[in-house]
Amino acid sequence: MDPLAYAPEFVVLAAALLVFLADVLGVRRLEAFGGIATGASAVAFALVLADLGTPVLSGLSTLPAGVLDAPLGPGITSFTSLGLVFQAIFLLAAFFVSLASLSRPSAEAGSAVFFGLLLLATLGMLLVALSADLIFLLLAIELASISTYLMVGYSRKEARHLEAAMKFYIIGALSTALSFFGASLLFGAYGGTSFYGLGPAATPIGYPTLALVGYALLIAGLGFKVTAVPFHAWAVDVYDGAPTDVSAFLAGGTKKMGIFAFFLVFLAPLLILGHTPALGPRGFASALQLTLGIAAVLTMTVGNLLALLQKEMKRLLAYSSISQAGYMLIGVAVASGPAVAGATFQVLAHVFMKTGAFLVVAAVASLGVGPLIEDWRGLGPRRPYLSLSFALMLLSLAGVPLTIGFVSKFVLFSSAVQAKGPFVWLAVAGLLNSALSVFYYARILKTIYLDPPAPTDAPAAVPAPAAGIGWGRGAAILLITVGIVALGIYPGPVLSGIQAAASQFVFVGG
Amino acid sequence: MLPVLSILLATLLASTLLTFLSGRWARYVALAGSVVFLVEVLLLLASFTQWAGFGAGGVPQYNDPETYPWISISWLTVNYAVGIDGISLVLVLLTAFLLVATVVYSWREEKEPALWFGLVLLTCLGCYGVFVALDILLFFLFWEAVLIPMFFLIGYWGGPRRRYAALKFFVYTHVASIVMLVSLLAVAFYSGAASFDFTSLYGPARALGATTQVFLFLGLFFGFGVKFPIVPFHTWLPDAHVEAPTGGSVLLAGLLLKLGAYGLIRWAVELLPTGLGHLAPLLYAVAIASIVWGSVVALAQRDLKRLVAYSSINHMGIVLLAIAVGSSLGVTAAVLLMFAHGIVSALLFMVSGSVHHTFGTRDINAIGGITPRTPALSTLVMVGSLASLGLPALISFPAEFGALLAAWDRISYWVLLPLLILVVTAAFYMWLMQRMLFGPPKGIPANVHEPPSFELAAMSILAALIVLYGVVPSLLVQVIVNSPIQGWP
Repeated sequence: MDPLAYAPEFVVLAAALLVFLADVLGVRRLEAFGGIATGASAVAFALVLADLGTPVLSGLSTLPAGVLDAPLGPGITSFTSLGLVFQAIFLLAAFFVSLASLSRPSAEAGSAVFFGLLLLATLGMLLVALSADLIFLLLAIELASISTYLMVGYSRKEARHLEAAMKFYIIGALSTALSFFGASLLFGAYGGTSFYGLGPAATPIGYPTLALVGYALLIAGLGFKVTAVPFHAWAVDVYDGAPTDVSAFLAGGTKKMGIFAFFLVFLAPLLILGHTPALGPRGFASALQLTLGIAAVLTMTVGNLLALLQKEMKRLLAYSSISQAGYMLIGVAVASGPAVAGATFQVLAHVFMKTGAFLVVAAVASLGVGPLIEDWRGLGPRRPYLSLSFALMLLSLAGVPLTIGFVSKFVLFSSAVQAKGPFVWLAVAGLLNSALSVFYYARILKTIYLDPPAPTDAPAAVPAPAAGIGWGRGAAILLITVGIVALGIYPGPVLSGIQAAASQFVFVGG
Repeated sequence: MLPVLSILLATLLASTLLTFLSGRWARYVALAGSVVFLVEVLLLLASFTQWAGFGAGGVPQYNDPETYPWISISWLTVNYAVGIDGISLVLVLLTAFLLVATVVYSWREEKEPALWFGLVLLTCLGCYGVFVALDILLFFLFWEAVLIPMFFLIGYWGGPRRRYAALKFFVYTHVASIVMLVSLLAVAFYSGAASFDFTSLYGPARALGATTQVFLFLGLFFGFGVKFPIVPFHTWLPDAHVEAPTGGSVLLAGLLLKLGAYGLIRWAVELLPTGLGHLAPLLYAVAIASIVWGSVVALAQRDLKRLVAYSSINHMGIVLLAIAVGSSLGVTAAVLLMFAHGIVSALLFMVSGSVHHTFGTRDINAIGGITPRTPALSTLVMVGSLASLGLPALISFPAEFGALLAAWDRISYWVLLPLLILVVTAAFYMWLMQRMLFGPPKGIPANVHEPPSFELAAMSILAALIVLYGVVPSLLVQVIVNSPIQGWP
């Protein structure tokens, strides 16, 4: 394979090494590291879009002809349109977070570690999207995960950051163990670990139970990564305890690689093996589909119910992030071309909404506002632009029209109704959950816009409007807000691209 | 051909944005925008001589149609599709009248005027969109677009319990919207229609089996019913009305309640006639329950605004009764009554607002004999009350008469129940007038004077419309029948 085909990955890797090198050479300015990370993710983003055949950028494409969406072979990597779409989504998250982090204090200790690890985690995520082999996939997930464990604790000063990092690491190790154990069982059942051998070229096996246990363990292992209930408890503590910019990256970025991993691992047994006569009428696909459907409903319901009870902004966003993962799992459970497209668009929407929301929380915290939701009272009139951005993000999370979150839910739930039969219930569950989620989003809006600021702590809680949030953070929030509205009003081309990528995806088309 | 409907939409959109940006000049911009919109609607009305009729396969066509592709992926086709017929045109006319009246009435709004007028325009924009949209997604989008400005109108400018009322309003109507959306999606996917466009749904949806139609109709009935509001999902309405500012109440009662009824006619009755046929008894029962409950509870109210709110439930019950009949006469009467109730309830909410400003209370028992001191205001109270109780030659009479006549065809003697309730309604309005307007003077502050001229102007416009359309209801009826109901029994 032409090494140039991996140009985006090389750009990100080179940038990561450059950041660490600069740190060793004595560069101490955050802007330098941040500039490298922002620039590298922007360049890699453009390269990925070029590979996807975006008209304006097509001259930049480094992908040899005939490689994209080629039939799956026994190799360890493959280039799929859907994988490239996910790469673009990951790079977008990395871009927003590094752009916003440019506004951190210039002399902050450990900033090289932060940006270097951000790039390494991004590299891991990019490799996840190229995986064609279960072991390669799990290793790529490890690269991203280990980088993020360190990112959570990079400041090394605050105890709660270190506690969150420790918790994240221990749970992550457990999840890795489960995944690899599942992979080894699948190896035993099928005699191989490439998705080619687990899907199109699967040999009829004599141990369907073994394979089923293997897949169940993978649901658990990958379930930790996407915060599926009941493997979700860590997420709240980690998102809450981590520095807020890192939370933005975890919720908006790394969690999404789990969704793509779900596609890679489970679309084959649901769509391809399910049609293998040797495994019975639907093989074990029905059992897997039921499990995934229940996991989706549980995840969104538990996430939303617990979000209702939260008093702290970051914990509320963490629970809402869990519920959003439940919506995405609908796409895995339904396992049709439209559902995969819907889930992918939901992932894209979530990058805008959740990364944006955490970045606003970081911005508001930098203005000296406390962590509780009620500390945000009366913010609306005092910080009109910041509040408007946050309001749009929350409305988008709630699925209110003219925002990207509405379009994504509309497409996703439509795809479940389109699949008819029992899947309509997934759409109903999703819609009821959206209604439930409106309670807590509306409550935040009410706090920000309608509640008067508390008289006693007013001067301390909300400083004079002169205090700035930094141009990097401001630019990131502005871009995200524009994206939420623009893609909400006219999703056409992006949605068509994602639909085309999903319908060509190896397991869907195969 | 001129994209007329989009021009109207653009007018409202531009006025909304300009109003938000124009600071203390907001009221002038809002007035100019709403007057331009009214003139455009009147021109549209003047040019609307003949409805486009049925196309191939009996699919209804619409005047001034526009269709642009919006989302187009293999299994999901969504268009920006708009068009009008007589039913939607009458409701667009109602929107334009109420927009002008609301802007004039709240001329001196002091609290964040730019925001206030902008949100008023935005609410009307959403209502206009609902009435002209011919695509599921576009329809739903405008439907939801009404919610957010109304949430703020109640929650920011409302009375003491405004935050509770705003939240309750938002949650009730949003849950209903979701059920409505999933039902509409199911209509599209179960019928296998090519796109979400009303005209391409029409044939496949009507061909669906009876069981499917019944389930889908139930979903749509719940979704639209909460906005009506039907008993027992009406409890958000009195709270929202009592706490809402006068302008908010006017839009809420005058326009928002009409959205549910319009949606039921267009998206449920027209698409799922078999479903309606099987569920008609349920609809009659709910309608009569709303009629009885609304007026009996209204009788017990002392707060003028609460009384008007409950009488809205009563009137919308009659609308539901007429829609459930599903005949040409029934739907004509229903749309006429929607228009009538829009104007009359707007006037009544305005007079309760003015009574409140003038006398410092809305308690019917606390004030009395106000006519000698404020003759203009009490004349308007009288016009509103008489119209609401259905006095002949005022606008509600032909509508209620038509509705009950249509219902007679289907439920025969059961019509006596709503008819007797009309007597109760008449009684409580008479009693109201007797106590407030003509009794011995009480509770009148010493320095009382008539409401400001802009309030009187807004109310007089509505009173004039009540008389105009009451004397010549054919002005509206001939427009309403210019619609697909021509083909109905």
